[in-house]
Amino acid sequence: MFQNFRLAMAWVHTWFGLFLGFVLMVVFFFGSLSVFDREIDRWAIPESRFEPQPMPSFDEILKPVFEDMQPSRESVDQMRSRVDGPMPEHFDTPVRWGAYTTHRDPVLGLFAGYQVPNANNPDELVWGTRTIDPRTGESLPDDQLKIGSRFFYPLHYSLNLHWKDLGYWIVGLAALIMLVALVTGVIMHRKLFRELFTFRPKKSNQRSILDLHNLTGVVALPFHFMFAFTGLVIFAGIYFPVTHTQLEPLHDLHEVVESQETGLPHERSGVAAPIASVDAMVAEAQRRWAARDMAGDVGFLALQHVGDANGYVSIYRAGTDRIALTGEGIHFKASTGEVLREDPPPSTVERIDEFLTGLHLQHFRHWLLRWLYVLGGLTGCACIATGFLFFVEKRKRQHAKRGQIGSRVVDALAVTTVTGMLIATLGILIANRLLPVNLPARGDWEQYCFWGVWGLAMAHAFWRTAPVALGKLAPAWREQCWAIAVLAVVAVVLNWVTTGDHLLKTLSAGYWPVAGVDLFMLVSALVAVFTARRLQRRPRPQSADGSELSGEAAHA
Amino acid sequence: MPENVLLLAALLLSLIGLGWFALALDVHWKQACGKQARGVVSARGLRLSGGVALALALILCLQVDHPTMAALVWIMSLAGAALIVAFTLSWRPHWLALLAARPPRR
Amino acid sequence: MSTAIVSRTQLLSRIAAALLGGYVLAWGFIALGVAAAFAAGMPFHDAEHLFSLLAFLLYLVTFLWSFAARDPRRVWLVLAGGGALMAVLASLIQHALV
Repeated sequence: MFQNFRLAMAWVHTWFGLFLGFVLMVVFFFGSLSVFDREIDRWAIPESRFEPQPMPSFDEILKPVFEDMQPSRESVDQMRSRVDGPMPEHFDTPVRWGAYTTHRDPVLGLFAGYQVPNANNPDELVWGTRTIDPRTGESLPDDQLKIGSRFFYPLHYSLNLHWKDLGYWIVGLAALIMLVALVTGVIMHRKLFRELFTFRPKKSNQRSILDLHNLTGVVALPFHFMFAFTGLVIFAGIYFPVTHTQLEPLHDLHEVVESQETGLPHERSGVAAPIASVDAMVAEAQRRWAARDMAGDVGFLALQHVGDANGYVSIYRAGTDRIALTGEGIHFKASTGEVLREDPPPSTVERIDEFLTGLHLQHFRHWLLRWLYVLGGLTGCACIATGFLFFVEKRKRQHAKRGQIGSRVVDALAVTTVTGMLIATLGILIANRLLPVNLPARGDWEQYCFWGVWGLAMAHAFWRTAPVALGKLAPAWREQCWAIAVLAVVAVVLNWVTTGDHLLKTLSAGYWPVAGVDLFMLVSALVAVFTARRLQRRPRPQSADGSELSGEAAHA
Repeated sequence: MPENVLLLAALLLSLIGLGWFALALDVHWKQACGKQARGVVSARGLRLSGGVALALALILCLQVDHPTMAALVWIMSLAGAALIVAFTLSWRPHWLALLAARPPRR
Repeated sequence: MSTAIVSRTQLLSRIAAALLGGYVLAWGFIALGVAAAFAAGMPFHDAEHLFSLLAFLLYLVTFLWSFAARDPRRVWLVLAGGGALMAVLASLIQHALV
């Protein structure tokens, strides 16, 4: 079918890369933004613009909040069909309380899970969440959309497409194809090292686009490979649920053994018991970490079987100083504060797994490395985008001669996923600043704006790529670049007008989360203007036969 | 020394190191220095000093962070440095003549 | 014309083999790996992590091989057949343990 190995690999690279490239673009771009998801949250929720806080006192601040919590209406509604009889008005038996924070969170997210009387599956809980100001314990409105951590971040790994986990599967396939494209790309690219630093902007469009594609693909090759690979590893349980289907019996066997080993009670005893001072347990956990030469803050705190004699408190360390996601969990008996168990040091396999997942999830405190990750992610975007452009450049004249529309459709989709995606991103940020503060379901409206704006950008892309069918450059690229420039400036100005936090103020106060988002948008505007102006110039004469292209380009 | 200074030095070293690697290739040497012969600086010498610079960059990274983190910082800094070297070669190639201690090409 | 049709079905068969056949093989690999390693005394979660890690690399290799191999029937035989065989072996090991 294929004449030789290299041609087979080139075919795989071109066609799988093209089809999944549109998904990969979204994954890489929103992955890059997710590096600063908490900072984008600050921008989007002005009430939360203050300094990150450590985990507050449980006894004084958290306990009263937890005791006041109830499951959310959605959670209760979802559960209704799986219960015999009516739902109670008030849920009295909390099974689990948890609070999670990072070194970048001013506000603290809490969650609570409650037992449901007469549930078909007694282990199934209803859940409630709350966001508080950890300095006072005061609740912040919980219906505001955390655009960074609750919209861009899940978009990165699930496309926010939750029906039957379809989004996860599409992203998983795209990640596999990313690995495939990297390997096939290296096979196709004959002069990997000799041309490592090569970018010739003065040569033909096709040549310089291919240079840029190779350059961005090769220099960040380890990054691209590791992130696609670790992304798959993180969700291995979703993609290969072997131990929850075929090997479920083996898994259950192991669970029984494990809970005997850990000594942490699996069930409630039914005997009520008060909670001892959790602050004392936190102090003890910190003392034990310090004794192991890993002094640190609390990242995650959870109570299991709340109010029961079997209740226990688990305290995990925030992993800010290393890559591996290490919890160093210490578990206490809730009623007495006695230590039940210290998690043993991880095995070699666990160490590898924690390193790989931690590398991707980045809980560490290292601003340089965060920015380098953004650079890596954006390099990936550039690599994918130039891949589309090369596909179009290579075929559009031939398609124009034959009256085919293939390259026009690809170009329109490329405009949609490259510039259109940026416009949609700015669209949701602008909507966030413009929608009335007390609009019901405001967060939903912000999301509709995102998808609506993206739809409009797509319509524009299909309309304004008509010249591609004649072998010319599409004006859609240039026009959407101008749109990005305008919208980015509008977003920065709106932030100023609606919150009073203009750049001079945030910069002089050193409040980087908001200043950084503003600056990033302004820089994007500059890049967009630069690109639009370059595209406006008259196109260079093209070499008619592309004879200067190497064999590699000829069959890509 | 403060950590930021060490990290900055590591970034600079990886930039210089990759610049030397680029100059070790004939085509980039010509872009930066024109027809001037390499003289005493052989391609091998450039590669060697490039390697030393990158190794030093790694050592500096290791001074600042836990080894797992330092390795990532180093690898990512190489990606960034390679991009800068490539773009310099496209638009201001004679700047690289600085690294070869030569007057820029004319 | 007929060669074009043949090569189109051949291509579809290869794509299906790469995606589905590769998935079956990776599944069988994880199942057998976890069951065998657990039986040999490796902690359960270690086995789970280790073999799913390796399975993704295996999936990558078989994906490429599906297009590089000369005979697509052999691709199907190795991927689907091998995957099914390993899955059955895994269930047998589990049966012996539980």
